[in-house]
Amino acid sequence: MNALRMLLLLVAAHVLAGCAAEATDACRGQLGGTLDSAMVDAESRLANGCGYEFERYFGELLTIAEANPDRRNAQHFSEFLLRQTAAGTISRRTAEGLYNRYFNIKFVSLQGDYNTCSQTCPVRARVLSTMQTELKDKELGLLRVSNDPASFYRADHLYKEAELVLEATCRACEAGNGR
Amino acid sequence: MNTPIRSTLLVLALVAVAAASAWPAPAAANSGPVVRLFPTNVLEDIRATTQVAEAMENSLQDIIRRMDMQQQLYTESLCEGADGDQGCERIARQIGATYLQMLEVMSDRLPQMEASVASTRDSLERRLREELGLRTTPTSLQDSLVGQSPTIAAESQPALRGRSGVRLSDRFKQYQELVTTGRNGQSQSLAVVASDIYLDMADASLLIAATRQEIARTALMEQLNQSFGVITPEMAKVVGGVKQILFGEVVGDGPIAAPPNAIGEPDYVSPLAM
Repeated sequence: MNALRMLLLLVAAHVLAGCAAEATDACRGQLGGTLDSAMVDAESRLANGCGYEFERYFGELLTIAEANPDRRNAQHFSEFLLRQTAAGTISRRTAEGLYNRYFNIKFVSLQGDYNTCSQTCPVRARVLSTMQTELKDKELGLLRVSNDPASFYRADHLYKEAELVLEATCRACEAGNGR
Repeated sequence: MNTPIRSTLLVLALVAVAAASAWPAPAAANSGPVVRLFPTNVLEDIRATTQVAEAMENSLQDIIRRMDMQQQLYTESLCEGADGDQGCERIARQIGATYLQMLEVMSDRLPQMEASVASTRDSLERRLREELGLRTTPTSLQDSLVGQSPTIAAESQPALRGRSGVRLSDRFKQYQELVTTGRNGQSQSLAVVASDIYLDMADASLLIAATRQEIARTALMEQLNQSFGVITPEMAKVVGGVKQILFGEVVGDGPIAAPPNAIGEPDYVSPLAM
């Protein structure tokens, strides 16, 4: 009797382990096909316990979209992110951060609620370096995924303007501190 | 730094200071922090600096033109390497004398110029610190930069610092236009214009100070050269640099022009957008 019970336990454990492995495999597979079908696939997986793979899915969706650039892709990504926010996979803040990082002219890296002298100037080099990295993401999102060169060039120009204005403003702030 | 470079930089600084002699009287200011970057006192400082600089620029142009003619005569007379030729030595001494005259003009006007540039720099510095540094957050600063039309005609934009290669007085004429149109809310951010002028003025102040220190030594060296009737390669370089700055038309790369938006296709605005 005991032997039978042990055997049943072993079988159950094996089945459970197999299911878990199957679920992991389901999460691991690469997304493919069109952007629409890949988004459906990703959403299905995210709804079935693959939330920890969100970042990878998002990156793969960008890669798929890059191969099929279209002005409407930004809207597709926005709607995808909103659905994931509603589903509770990611927070609203994360969704905003991702969308703006890739599809907005403005820089997420240049934000803050305190004055420029105190918040940005002490870390100006770091802020500009982060903006430079973000500009590369915008190149992917705006130029290569959305086929929107006008917006990308505007973002590029905004980066240069911000660099110039911060140089002058921070120099003026420092001069004021020295007096 | 050697003499010709310093001299060239001086002229760069001086022409930069000749910032738009006809800057308009301040019109009724719009609201918003950026417009307050150019209040009356800043424009008055620039106007005062310009009056000093204009006179100097005119004086230098005459001297440069004369030096150019003398240099041409020297070349056409095949004086290069013609040692011992009295005519050539006379031309060389004339060029040297004109060169000295250029240094004298600079020397006479530099103190006034230095004070005027410093005043303009300081007033812009104060406005930048107060308006952009202390009364603006990084978020609102970015908003003000993005605020203007995304498709500005390329020719209406000044090349950003370090990229222009354009004669400086032309650049300041662009600034003048931008300040005017910016006041009407139609063009590039005045924050960019103010920043560019401020940084140029700060550089000019340093260069003038450095040049004042060197000018006496340079004049002495040229006076020694006069004894031997020598045209040094340094002199030729300085003259070439000055000519390029005052009369040259070297056009640098402007910002890449953006293609127009597709007609009839409104831009999508995401609810996630900042």
